[in-house]
Amino acid sequence: MIEVCAVSHGFVPVGDGESVVPVLKDISFAVEAGSFVSLLGPSGCGKTTLLRVIDGLIVPLRGEIRIDGAVVKKPATDRAMVFQEFNLLPWRTTIRNIEFGLELHDVPRRERPARARAALQKVGLERFGHYFPHELSGGMKQRVGLARALATNPRILLMDEPFGALDPQIREIMQLDLLKLLDAERRTIVLVTHSIDEAIFLSDRIIIFGANPGRILTTIEVDLPRPRWAKDEEIKASSTFIAYRKQIWHLLKQELQHTEGA
Amino acid sequence: MTETVKLDVGMGLARPSSHSVFLRIWRSHRAAISRLAAFVVFFGTWEWSVESGLISPLFLSSPSEIVLRLYQVFADGSIWQHIEASGATAFWGFVLSVGVGVPVGVAMGRSPLLRDTLEPFIMAIYASPSVAFLPLLIIWLGIGLASKVALAFVGGVFVIIVNTEAGVSSIDRRLVETARSFTATEAEVLFKIVLPAAMPFILAGMRLAIGRVLIMVVVAELFASTAGLGYLIYQAGALYDTAQLFVGVVIIATAGIVLNVFLRWLERRVAPWRRAERLSG
Repeated sequence: MIEVCAVSHGFVPVGDGESVVPVLKDISFAVEAGSFVSLLGPSGCGKTTLLRVIDGLIVPLRGEIRIDGAVVKKPATDRAMVFQEFNLLPWRTTIRNIEFGLELHDVPRRERPARARAALQKVGLERFGHYFPHELSGGMKQRVGLARALATNPRILLMDEPFGALDPQIREIMQLDLLKLLDAERRTIVLVTHSIDEAIFLSDRIIIFGANPGRILTTIEVDLPRPRWAKDEEIKASSTFIAYRKQIWHLLKQELQHTEGA
Repeated sequence: MTETVKLDVGMGLARPSSHSVFLRIWRSHRAAISRLAAFVVFFGTWEWSVESGLISPLFLSSPSEIVLRLYQVFADGSIWQHIEASGATAFWGFVLSVGVGVPVGVAMGRSPLLRDTLEPFIMAIYASPSVAFLPLLIIWLGIGLASKVALAFVGGVFVIIVNTEAGVSSIDRRLVETARSFTATEAEVLFKIVLPAAMPFILAGMRLAIGRVLIMVVVAELFASTAGLGYLIYQAGALYDTAQLFVGVVIIATAGIVLNVFLRWLERRVAPWRRAERLSG
């Protein structure tokens, strides 16, 4: 279980030693093991910063993250992150990019190729092991990014707008494939997104953020049947789905009109 | 013969409707043909002006004479002591430049404080002509191998520092963050992210350094030496033996070109993605 306990964060602007610009204000919530939680909100609501706090890349000014009771101080091998811009190493082939995470997690050298190949197979790219990132499409690059994270067998998968850089149709295919993958191996997922549909379709729970400073507006439990990937068209056209979308959009619209209009 | 071909090509160009063989060859190889023509004209004129007596061989040797002399010095083996002497100086000067330049460049690229501190010094020495240090280096180190290696080092190290620093500080911070997220230590960030990402810049620095090192070796040997290609050139000049002089020049130029081409090839080898970026950008 991930516990986010009263986390506040901000940054000191360059050339100003006095004031702190708040980014996150008093954030608390919990993510049960094995559940899929989305952090949804407009740009600038600090959701990406919060994901980095959970990973341990950023130490918050106040508050703390606990994972199964232990306070997070820095990144650890029980978590892995998938990045919006893929962040593949351009000088490594696909298979070597997947091995990168295994190397850093001190997986013995002889185990790495087999584990990397298995992960590559999971994301359907077994024929592209020797390709370089610049030879792959955006969707394929993110499949490699996902395989790199999954290969390390993390209990917690942190995804920072993983499909945000992909075109809309590829994005939906990637969502389906992600759900299929997760059916086979239950993991705890925290996903950052600003797509309302993506959050509803994927999540068990959506935490909705407002901006300036980032704070929780509300939390919505998504009660849609799983597995969702098998009946995605029906689910996305269902009245329940549309009601969630309406409710969330109403909330975010108000928030945006309030902050943007000020 | 070649001039006849050139003339036909020219006429073909004047009649665009013509589909002559010459026109087709011209169209597909214009750069190569043009280059070859310039080459022939240049060396032809040179050869002719020396052979016809227009220019005395005391001032300029003919290309054929230079080629003949090149053959002779390699055939009788007399050139090897000079190549070995210059080669050793260049080798040690280059190895020292890389051995010092890369770590210093990496440290400056990783630490803004260190960069801000050292940059004025580095830039001042980098911008001043390295040759000016030779008399000082001779006072410190004598006229043996050490002062020549030191000059080659001064000539080569700064361009490696500057390029390495540029490569390291232009690194994609997201890749460093990715490594940290996967629990990378500082050493792992350095060896798995920073150095591979900066490698094309480091190799470019090494390529530029090779040219500078070779210049410094020759200059150092002109000043104070008893062997080496610079010494050979100096001696030949003193004796008005211009063919011998060009033997030295040709060997140094060849070494420079070969090493340059090799490092360019290596740059492309280690960074195939950069070529793709250039092609698509």
